Amino acid sequence: MSAAISVQGVTKRFRIPLDRGATLKYRLTHPRSTAKYQDFLALDDVSFDVPHGQFLGIVGRNGSGKSTLLKIMSRIYIPTHGSIVLDGRVSPFLELGVGFNPELTARENVLLNGAVLGLGRRELRRRMDEMIHFAELEQFVNTKLKNFSSGMQVRLAFTVAIQAEAAILLMDEVLAVGDARFQAKCFDVFNRYKREGRTIVLVTHDLAAVDLYCDSAIFLEHGRVIGEGQPSDVTARYRRMVADEQEADAIASGETGYSDKAESTEARWGNGDVRIASVRLENAQHEEHTNFEADAPMTIAVELEARRDVTDLVVGIGIHRADGAVIGGTNTHIGRAVLPPLAQGDRLRVSYSMNRLPLLAGAYRLTIAAHPSVHSVTYDHLEQAVSFRVTDDSGRTGLFDLGGGWVVSSEQRAGAVA
Amino acid sequence: MALTSALRPPASAPEAVSTLRRHVNLTLELAWTQFKLKYTGSVLGYFWSLLKPLMLFSILFAIFVVLFKQRTNEFALQLLVGVVVFTFFTDATGVAMSSIAGAGHLIRKAYFPRAILVVASTITALLTMMINLTLIVVVATPLGHLHFGLYSAVLPLLLVELYALALGFAFLLSSLFVFYRDLGHIWEIVTQVLFYASAIVYPVVAVPERFRGLFFINPLAQVVEDVRHAIVISVVPWTADYVGVRILVPLGITAIVLVAGLLVFRRLTPVFAEYL
Repeated sequence: MSAAISVQGVTKRFRIPLDRGATLKYRLTHPRSTAKYQDFLALDDVSFDVPHGQFLGIVGRNGSGKSTLLKIMSRIYIPTHGSIVLDGRVSPFLELGVGFNPELTARENVLLNGAVLGLGRRELRRRMDEMIHFAELEQFVNTKLKNFSSGMQVRLAFTVAIQAEAAILLMDEVLAVGDARFQAKCFDVFNRYKREGRTIVLVTHDLAAVDLYCDSAIFLEHGRVIGEGQPSDVTARYRRMVADEQEADAIASGETGYSDKAESTEARWGNGDVRIASVRLENAQHEEHTNFEADAPMTIAVELEARRDVTDLVVGIGIHRADGAVIGGTNTHIGRAVLPPLAQGDRLRVSYSMNRLPLLAGAYRLTIAAHPSVHSVTYDHLEQAVSFRVTDDSGRTGLFDLGGGWVVSSEQRAGAVA
Repeated sequence: MALTSALRPPASAPEAVSTLRRHVNLTLELAWTQFKLKYTGSVLGYFWSLLKPLMLFSILFAIFVVLFKQRTNEFALQLLVGVVVFTFFTDATGVAMSSIAGAGHLIRKAYFPRAILVVASTITALLTMMINLTLIVVVATPLGHLHFGLYSAVLPLLLVELYALALGFAFLLSSLFVFYRDLGHIWEIVTQVLFYASAIVYPVVAVPERFRGLFFINPLAQVVEDVRHAIVISVVPWTADYVGVRILVPLGITAIVLVAGLLVFRRLTPVFAEYL
């Protein structure tokens, strides 16, 4: 398989002027000054190939060089060293709504952005109704963009961006925009791209999307590739690194006590009376894994730590599809498991074991929660915190095994019996 | 900068054609958008483009024709033509100068040939000039003030020369403006000087004979003068003793400006995204 994108030893060094000297006066009064620069190595000898029709995810923290790499692939930046070979037309946009003008109407913006994408006016007019319908903006075709809500703008931008006929698409955080219903449409588009055999490079912080859609992933840190391969392995490594650092930060800042607010994020909340210390997904041999075979055993092992005396504790789990929908959940209360009262500082291990994982191929996320039996307060809630992937080559379709068995009984004609 | 990047596989012929068509389409779409944006919210809209040179003309007319009794060879009409041509030059170069620096977001986030931004920004000015010249012809011809002949056929060529000159400066200014913002002020002064150095407010005969060679080194002066000769006064624009100086030198300078503009622009294009 030939590569659609081949990146060989790409290095990008930015010279950040300490004093810009951007006026002629400066140049004239300091004719000899070689302006002072600070070199910043944004990318350091990065190499990888993306075969035709494959999706590559690039993960890494802010400032790790992800966007610079994407800009080099799209020819916006020129690499300091190294080469990039692209086999096929590349979509010119990296982000949504680039070049949108608030003073123009939705229709005018579509025509202008479409032209940047390389589409002719006639072609755009032909697609206009369909596009406006997709963006759910039928009543606002001739409304100026400045009067649009941000959700409307982003729907329009996404709709225009997916009109690109390019074989190679480079996308910087353009996934999953709009409300849940529109997001579903976005994912449909990605599935269509997959079927059409387009090559896509995704830069995103949405690790679940990387797990679900990408065929491979690379992990950038300080401009270097420090991990590449299976998306679930790469994202797991990234998650682990971020988690380790958060822990190190907490220890470094001497944060031993618990404050409710400091620990609350969009993905984690609770009063902290009980803290979920770790969550492990284990296989039959009790080894930690993020990749599971369908029908194989799986154990969800949760470690809890009490920060106060707690007598009433329920631990719950929920499994989500990659788009966030819950497909299964239970808790210790429903399962009639009795948890002992905990004194401050006690640790407790609770695990949920499945002899036969009913999930089929795909990427999933796990939510863990600890709360009292009357769920009026939450001790700790980790929303979709752990990702895992299930592989299956049996050919069953959907999300889970139906669990039934086939029975065939035939009624043979009497005469046929020997 | 060591650059070994083979960014693009060799394009096949039909692909090159479709690429060109896409780029032309984008240029026109950008020009049309700028045109629309320039006049949204104003009551008179496009008429401002016609009114502005007309006002400048009226003032100059009051001073030079009414006050100083400058009446030679349809001077009023010569003045009007000069003002229209000169307005195009300042409009086109002025707008083009910020066409790159003002499109930072687009340049940082999307890839397309940057020259498209520069060309698109000159098109509005070009259209305005065409409409203004057409209006002059339509209004002045029935009044018997314009003189057409075979020599008038040279007008399109003069306009091509004018556009090439403006485009050359547009490329030069737009790329340098990214790095040196003083250029905006400098160019304002330069155009002011050019206005008086291009015989717009006085007839060329006012220039002493011995300086005239020097005077016509300025391509703008040559274009203004020849456009006048081609449609306003029925004098063959290039007398034999002028051919060398009057045509070849300004043409050569125009070519140099255009080539220099393109070279500088091409040289600086790769770093636009990093500087903006």
